Amino acid sequence: MPSSHLSLSTAAADSIFSHARDGASGDTPREVCGVLVGDRGDENTPDTVTGVRRVPNVAADPRTRYELDPETTLEAIESAENAGRDVVGFYHSHPESPARPSETDRKEATWKGYVYLIVSPRNDEIRAWRWSGERFETLGVETE
Amino acid sequence: MDVSVEVVGEERHEVAVDDDATYADLVSAVDLSPHEVSVLVDGRPVPEDQPVEADRVKVLRLIKGGRT
Repeated sequence: MPSSHLSLSTAAADSIFSHARDGASGDTPREVCGVLVGDRGDENTPDTVTGVRRVPNVAADPRTRYELDPETTLEAIESAENAGRDVVGFYHSHPESPARPSETDRKEATWKGYVYLIVSPRNDEIRAWRWSGERFETLGVETE
Repeated sequence: MDVSVEVVGEERHEVAVDDDATYADLVSAVDLSPHEVSVLVDGRPVPEDQPVEADRVKVLRLIKGGRT
């Protein structure tokens, strides 16, 4: 059983907040998204995120939906793996609502065992879950 | 024809499909739904209704969701 904690470097957290604030600014807020890169842990060691890769949101309505551009996502995953790192999971922002998974987030989650991180720039909040295949399991996020 | 199908982040499958099979057929052959994935050849997405021409493809589970 994987760890119920996620270690997030300060630099990665800053990068995620910065990206989310960019998306929330302007006349029409939009969700932003990307890939979390680092090292996947095990039952005793938390997953560690040390870097992020921004990925364009190609959803038809980016104000309320997100979809990572597949081509850029694959590039980011292969780049991480070629550098000897792991893909830990993915992040997206909720520019106008709290950092909680929505019903749509649950219905459309597909990466079993991976981290889904949500950032709310309005609430200055980052939270994370692991998709079990059936539900989002809450992870304790430690920024260090 | 024989096609090597890598599900990104998971395992690789060797799949035999009919010569007129589409990429959607290939996705179904590895027990995934065409609606939840993107098929990429040489790093670029291909339409899933197109006939299979590549012998190596990658299948990426889509990462998406929404507020409502």
